[in-house]
Amino acid sequence: MRNPYEVLGVAPTVSAADIQKAYRKLAKKLHPDLNPGDKAAEEKFKEVAGAYDLLGDAEKRKRFDNGEIDAAGAERPQQHFYRDFAASDDGHPYADSSGYADFTDADDAFAELLRRGERARANRRGRDLHYQLPIDFVDSIKGASKRLTLPDGGTLDVTIPPGLVDGQILRLRGKGAPGAGKGGPGDALIEVEVLPDKRFTRDGDDISLELPISLSEAVLGGRIRVPTPTGDVTMAVPKGSNTGTIMRLKGKGAPRRGGGQGDQFVKLKIVLPKSPDTELEAFVSNWDKGKAFNPREDSTS
Amino acid sequence: MIMNKQEFLTRAGLQVRTLEFWLEQQWLIPDETAAEMNFSDMDVARAHLIRDLKSDFGVNDEGVDVILHLVDQLHGLRRALDQLQEGLRGTSR
Repeated sequence: MRNPYEVLGVAPTVSAADIQKAYRKLAKKLHPDLNPGDKAAEEKFKEVAGAYDLLGDAEKRKRFDNGEIDAAGAERPQQHFYRDFAASDDGHPYADSSGYADFTDADDAFAELLRRGERARANRRGRDLHYQLPIDFVDSIKGASKRLTLPDGGTLDVTIPPGLVDGQILRLRGKGAPGAGKGGPGDALIEVEVLPDKRFTRDGDDISLELPISLSEAVLGGRIRVPTPTGDVTMAVPKGSNTGTIMRLKGKGAPRRGGGQGDQFVKLKIVLPKSPDTELEAFVSNWDKGKAFNPREDSTS
Repeated sequence: MIMNKQEFLTRAGLQVRTLEFWLEQQWLIPDETAAEMNFSDMDVARAHLIRDLKSDFGVNDEGVDVILHLVDQLHGLRRALDQLQEGLRGTSR
């Protein structure tokens, strides 16, 4: 094991910040996952990382400087890097062929070789198949079981977890294209699109709803039924509620991943009867206080 | 090795909230076929890479997104190159 200061290329007198800077500079160049084809990078990176484990820690550095511990203690345990898996033959969820997709589509000898190489693999994992699944907003909150009809006529049962967000990708392991030899089938990747809802909108874990109420409910208050994605609930509207008043239904939002639930916010909107009502007109024309009130006064002052 | 969320958090040295965010960003894509998420050794290795990028290299979230995408493409290309090599062997036989 070389002297850790030498490994990082710094003098034993430099500051902790300089040690970090030196480490970052080297590690960025040497990280095995950023150098998947360089076998030597892993050894070099381990040496650099080990040196930094020792010198990047003020306490350990002091002990090393005092000769209490030696550089051997800085060796890192065996670590598996991402590249060890990404290079595997079995295929995996992160595989991305977009970097050369244009080559395989071509109609020339080069593309033919690429395709032949693909076919020639004895134990080839099946391809991942991508599907789209539109679901209703309510199902995205409650969770649901959906059956997806595939282009080849088959079907796929998909469990929608409660609280799913638009664009989330569900992976059904082994439901992709069949593999060859010992290679297992690929996965089905289902991108779920949550269709917009006429009533509900979602913001994080919270759900908003605009709820029409009648004039008498607004003036006199009362208990009204409010739709939520999981069914109707009863809510008390206080006397003198107004358009724009927001009420909170605690725990009626979307389920959170870590447990618990968001809230549903109900924004009230006063709606007058559709056909003009003579009784109401007569009342309002005799209602002097109502005429004297100017709701725009607030906003201009 | 297949592990559940708790085992994965321990192996990867992650906090639950960090994992939630990474899942949201789709930096990690665990198997969700069963009722609970299943993670593989590969997910652990990928989590270590993300951790190195963020805590050691000072890469921000947008940078992680770009790097992961490019790294995955690089591996795709390496596979293609490998296949090409096999294909060439096939023709010369």
